[in-house]
Amino acid sequence: MTKKETNIILFSVTLCWAASYLFIKDLPSDLSSFAYITVTAGIAALVLLVLFFRRLAFVTKTTLLHGLVLSLFLMGDLLAERAAMDSLSASESSFISSLNILFVPLLLLFWHIRPTKNHICGFGVILFGIFMTHGFRFAESVNRGTVFMLFSCLFMALYTIFSVRFVKQSDAMALTILQMCFCTLIGFVFWFMEDQRTFAGVAYTKQMLSSVFILAFFAQAYAYTMLMFAEKYSDAISVTIIASTEPVVTFVLALLIPNAYGETEHFHIRTLLGAVCIAVGVMIAGWEKRQ
Amino acid sequence: MKKQYTKIQQFLYTMIPFAILGAAFKVMTLVEGITEVRPANAIPVPAGLLFGPIGGLGCAVGNLIADLFGTFSGASVLGLIGNFFAAYLPYRLWYLSGGDAPNVHTYQNIARYLLVSYNGALTVAWFLGFGLELFFGMWMKTIYLSVFFNNFGFSVVLGLPFLIVLTSEGVNLMPCQGRVGLAGKHKKAGTALIAAYTVIMTALCVLAGFGLHLENNILAKGLSIIGAVILAAMIL
Repeated sequence: MTKKETNIILFSVTLCWAASYLFIKDLPSDLSSFAYITVTAGIAALVLLVLFFRRLAFVTKTTLLHGLVLSLFLMGDLLAERAAMDSLSASESSFISSLNILFVPLLLLFWHIRPTKNHICGFGVILFGIFMTHGFRFAESVNRGTVFMLFSCLFMALYTIFSVRFVKQSDAMALTILQMCFCTLIGFVFWFMEDQRTFAGVAYTKQMLSSVFILAFFAQAYAYTMLMFAEKYSDAISVTIIASTEPVVTFVLALLIPNAYGETEHFHIRTLLGAVCIAVGVMIAGWEKRQ
Repeated sequence: MKKQYTKIQQFLYTMIPFAILGAAFKVMTLVEGITEVRPANAIPVPAGLLFGPIGGLGCAVGNLIADLFGTFSGASVLGLIGNFFAAYLPYRLWYLSGGDAPNVHTYQNIARYLLVSYNGALTVAWFLGFGLELFFGMWMKTIYLSVFFNNFGFSVVLGLPFLIVLTSEGVNLMPCQGRVGLAGKHKKAGTALIAAYTVIMTALCVLAGFGLHLENNILAKGLSIIGAVILAAMIL
């Protein structure tokens, strides 16, 4: 897989995650975080198992351990994200999650991996763009949801760093399937402890089922499978740089795609300027690699 | 070693995901009873490039099954044919434009992928948009445009990554045999046909965007006939 192919795949993953905020908002508020993880990861695991069951032949003890560790990070990320969505809008959630661009390089310092000058310069421009997209009103909107979203960022940063390492030692498909299976199992245990009726206690509607399937297919099955394939040929910084375009993509999607109730978000000119800054930042950060 | 699927496997691997995705997104309606936001349209181009006519057949049947979950009507026949062409035309255009085994390892092939996706999307939009008017007396420019954007958008943002993974060394799927037909035997003729077809179909899409269609515009009629002739010449 060439570098440009890897970048195309990573961008499509970013697109899926950006779009997922629109659908998470459509889920009923009484659907708990554990139910959400069990159902979406469960459907994703089922789909992947049916389509790629032969890849389970590549599962070793190391792959199992890697799958478990990644699923714990993933669980932390998904739980924090779901908790944050209750008090944040789709755009706000996406904005804070893009602060991953700071977490990954900082955490990589523990492994003595320092960002280059281009990376630092690019990150600065991207951050400026992210703040501009949000309208420099970050301090006003700090609430419980913001804290949860920052935790989600931390888990996602850890997930990115470790998954890039693990996927080079294990089979990408087997690792994805195991992650989804572990997430489903862990989620279900917590869901059962929370509400013993589990599946019987959910109010199923056409809209809710549609959102659940969309999230399971794209934000879980598609995104994590593609991410694993791309990470095999990439590094944590490159993954984070492409992922930093998420707030722009979320905003564009929110303008274009109506949610299940036919509503779209409103356009702001500063978002366009922020998007330009983010794009320039991504180019600056990626410049060194092209040389 | 390259992986090769049987024709039945090719059909099922295309039809099942198309039907599931198509049915799951029925709730996101764009035109009531006709069309919706359709990520399933990411499937036709990669399926066509890798599985050829079998991929087209999988998309056509998958679309028909998805229609049973809310939009099934006489117009579903048009959907059946349209979705076959959404996969089959990119397959034929890929080889007609001089492409070798489908992959997007180079910028040239990425451009070729965009070109065949664009033409595939324009053709389906033209076929469904004007087909509904011709056979069912129903004209809506929204249908024309939403079919085009659904097909082109999803085949680029989701279909392209699919093709990358399926042709990567990790999966290494063996594409079906390419077919160029009569026009492909003369490279310049093939290129000229594709160029002419792209211009005509783009013009028709622009006309449809301005609300001009078969009934109220002679140009739309004329261009449609020329487009159909070029399409036949490219496929034969």
